[in-house]
Amino acid sequence: MKLWNRLMCTCRRRSPWLFHMNAGSCNGCDIELVASLTPRYDAEQLGARLEGSPRHADILCISGPVTHNTVQAIKTVYGQIYGPKAVVAIGSCPASTNAYIDSRTLDGPLDRHIPVDVYVPGCPPRPDSILQGIAKAAEILAARGNNPPVLKNTDEPVLEPAACEAASKEVRQ
Amino acid sequence: MNIFAMLWKNLWGGSRTLLYPARPRVSEHYRGLVRFDPSLCTGCAMCKFRCTSRAIEFTPGKGDFTWSYDPGRCTFCGRCVEGCKVHALSQESACPPIYLSAGELKESHTLARKPPAPRPAAAASPTVAGQAPKPNSVPNSGGAQ
Amino acid sequence: MNLTTALARLLLFPGLLFAVPAAWFFMWVERKAVARMQGRIGPPFMQPFYDFIKLLGKQVPPRSGVGGLLMKAWPLLAVASAAGAVGLLPVLPASGGFEGDLILLLALLEVPSMCLIAAGFSSRSIFGEIGSAREAVLSVSYNVVFLLAILSIAASQHTFRLEALSQLPVSPLQILGVIALLVCLPAKLHLNPFSLPNAEQEIYAGAMTEYAGPELAMWELSHGLEWVAGTGLVATLVVPHVTFMWLGALIFVALSFAIVLLLSAVAAATARLQIDTTVRFYWQCTLIFAVLAVASALFTRLRS
Repeated sequence: MKLWNRLMCTCRRRSPWLFHMNAGSCNGCDIELVASLTPRYDAEQLGARLEGSPRHADILCISGPVTHNTVQAIKTVYGQIYGPKAVVAIGSCPASTNAYIDSRTLDGPLDRHIPVDVYVPGCPPRPDSILQGIAKAAEILAARGNNPPVLKNTDEPVLEPAACEAASKEVRQ
Repeated sequence: MNIFAMLWKNLWGGSRTLLYPARPRVSEHYRGLVRFDPSLCTGCAMCKFRCTSRAIEFTPGKGDFTWSYDPGRCTFCGRCVEGCKVHALSQESACPPIYLSAGELKESHTLARKPPAPRPAAAASPTVAGQAPKPNSVPNSGGAQ
Repeated sequence: MNLTTALARLLLFPGLLFAVPAAWFFMWVERKAVARMQGRIGPPFMQPFYDFIKLLGKQVPPRSGVGGLLMKAWPLLAVASAAGAVGLLPVLPASGGFEGDLILLLALLEVPSMCLIAAGFSSRSIFGEIGSAREAVLSVSYNVVFLLAILSIAASQHTFRLEALSQLPVSPLQILGVIALLVCLPAKLHLNPFSLPNAEQEIYAGAMTEYAGPELAMWELSHGLEWVAGTGLVATLVVPHVTFMWLGALIFVALSFAIVLLLSAVAAATARLQIDTTVRFYWQCTLIFAVLAVASALFTRLRS
């Protein structure tokens, strides 16, 4: 059994499948994410594939300060991802709404809604930083195993409010 | 058939990929994390005023002040660096590092307010310290001659 | 062929035990070749194996009712039939077979695409429906040419045994048939320029949108097995006659490998065609090949 667990850990670390969502971003971070799939940076050397369906993915990459219109979509998609999963916040916008901090159309940083594992700062971050973020998220995914945060298998995610509240309090200080 | 020639050249010409931990060098003008030099700071709070995303926070106190910077909120625009008259701020030419929890990279410094630097002709001229010089006024060193 | 031989062929060589690593190997070759031709490094050697194990470890989606049972069954059926198709290939020369195993191979090769179509519809998602509809249109288009080409080669020689087909002398009819098969293989294997059912950014994941975890692992495996079976079928027609057993097997695998490289080059060189262009291509351009093949087959039969 131990051998199987070790094998599963290695395979989860070596095969992170991504799903990208744009939560109101200016598209700079999206362009850099797609640039990390180009020959110079090549995310495929890590085994990362940009998947078409959230059901297929392990890592959710979100860019953009979270607008009101996208909050429900993000929660839905997060709930649709199965199994051990991780979230990477790409750019400074999901971490803290960045330059849009006083906007009326935003709904706060990303960790108010879903638990975030890796933050990749930058405006936009370089593709090699994004690759580092993806590799780190894959390691976190492998170490996490089948433990929480695992969500119920519905389309509505069950969040752990305590974790999100604490994280958001720290950011707003 | 150009595309097949291109594919053939790519196949035998080697890949241009940087193998994973290797990263390309950034140019020396790259705008990365903001570096703060406490010895130069005069506490004018111009950087906090100019910051676009409230990454820099400035809390004044009696005789001292606290300057804090959260790279997680920074947009790396460089307005604070441009606005600092004493050049206490600079941006390092390296990519900001990834982090795992919000607010992890935040740094803050509490500095004592420095007394104002003595002017060369302060004993001679009766100007009040802190008064803004008039636009056409002669500089002090010139006035003392 | 008695029962033990048949079971050995189905489960050991060239059945599951050989076919599954061969499927992973060919999937890796395709991804690596496409990556190298695009100037990238590409995935490491064990990547399809890592993907498979990782998918097995994901949370199992809950499926309820008959629809759920069907959804669980389609990928298993696809893997079983593709593995059976690989098991029929005459990898070792003179390895026995039975009269009509070509027909069985072609039938088994059809089942994975039928399962994909059914899976898209039974997943009850709109993206699944669109993907399945596209796959169905594509299937109807290329299958005419595919079947006509290979059946005309077989009929002209009065045989439906794969082994006999592998020992045919080279003839213009055979060359025509092989070219027609190579033109149809990208559509069968969902490669560019006919990768319509896989159009990721257009229709999410098409027919497989709602699949996850172990079911998705089975779909990926069946895709790899289709690679082995499809390229093996073309290699059967092209392989030269060699008396020494294992050398023949080696040549067979090397030929399949070469066909994989050829298909990867075509996939890297082209972009995805739209559905109407694809259908027009198969019904207008390649149908000529098929008609020529049938005509020369009739001619050969009438002469002999």
